[in-house]
Amino acid sequence: MAEANNDLIEKLKQLIITRLKLADLTPDMIETDAPLFGEGLGLDSIDALELVLGLEKEFGVIIPDAEVGRKVFQSVRTMAQYVVDQKEGF
Amino acid sequence: MGRTAFCFPGQLQERPTLKEDHPLRRDPHFKEWVERASHQTSFDLLSFSFKGEETGFNLKLQIATYLLSMIHFSRLRAEGWVPDIITEHSMGIYAALAASEAITFEKGLWITESIGRILEREGTSSGGAMASIVGLAFREVEKINQDLNGFGLSIANYNGSKHFVLSGKEEGIEKAIALALSRKAISAARLTFNIGLHSPSLSGLSEEIQALLEEIEIRPPKFPILNHWTVRPLKREEIKDFLSQEIGQPVYWDRCVEWLIKEGINQFIEVGHRATLTKLIRWIDREVEAFSAGDRLLNK
Repeated sequence: MAEANNDLIEKLKQLIITRLKLADLTPDMIETDAPLFGEGLGLDSIDALELVLGLEKEFGVIIPDAEVGRKVFQSVRTMAQYVVDQKEGF
Repeated sequence: MGRTAFCFPGQLQERPTLKEDHPLRRDPHFKEWVERASHQTSFDLLSFSFKGEETGFNLKLQIATYLLSMIHFSRLRAEGWVPDIITEHSMGIYAALAASEAITFEKGLWITESIGRILEREGTSSGGAMASIVGLAFREVEKINQDLNGFGLSIANYNGSKHFVLSGKEEGIEKAIALALSRKAISAARLTFNIGLHSPSLSGLSEEIQALLEEIEIRPPKFPILNHWTVRPLKREEIKDFLSQEIGQPVYWDRCVEWLIKEGINQFIEVGHRATLTKLIRWIDREVEAFSAGDRLLNK
């Protein structure tokens, strides 16, 4: 199983900033392993909807339901791993 | 030339965080606002409690939401911001009315508390509930209501093309959440309410609320206020009827935002502690500028 590289992680951080219009943040301010919801970035379900759409548009990756979404949106790293896995046909 | 709408959010869903170092507490008038509210209602914002009284969580949230909106409104005005129009979501109407000077701050607080206590009483006996459904389109949410025919569910908030809030009895709401998740919603979860707000089941309360408002003086609003149910500006003479009926009617937030954009509004400022409406506006139209006064303060 391939691992997510730094380039992909950087692109996902940029996706989060752009989709969620977080103009005050730069990619280096988002910790790769920090929780995205609750404590960490403090995202909520409306943000999740934006990220689902963003992943689909930018990476052609589908989040099929809430259960998958919960796993994928744990952190930037889990998002990146999901993108890699989907591209590999897992 | 930009035109600005001030947006007053509905009830917070969690206790607002106002730690010692919170920038709002450094506002020179913060203490005065908190004391004015505490003097009238015995509710203390900082300890999030009523002195000498145990009340429900929602009543405390309603008063905290009202108070925080009024504090943020006063800060925005002091900074020179002037709304071309005011829009509101659900119980954001009380602060919207006070901000537009249709009623005084004290009357707005009194209305918030009085209606809050009626809702608390009803909630205790009605077994109502609400749920937020994110990621399903209108037809899919309608289908859930049809499939659960008999549970008296209704759409309470139209927040965007894929964001709805359902009202109904607890059992029906729990079933709706399970159905929504099985039909691939991104999120389906209970809100804090123990009552089915903005549903026809509450229409029976309108007479009691009307009587409550009888002696209240309504002045002409200084800034126009958009009615979240008819999506037209509220006339002074309609305000009491609106207040007594709106809890039995849905909130068409998506239509309010679309109407405002059509009217030339290109800047939305959420007059509250969180960024709930700001995020909904972002989903409705990514091009318009929207920010929350509370968020902006934290990021300064």
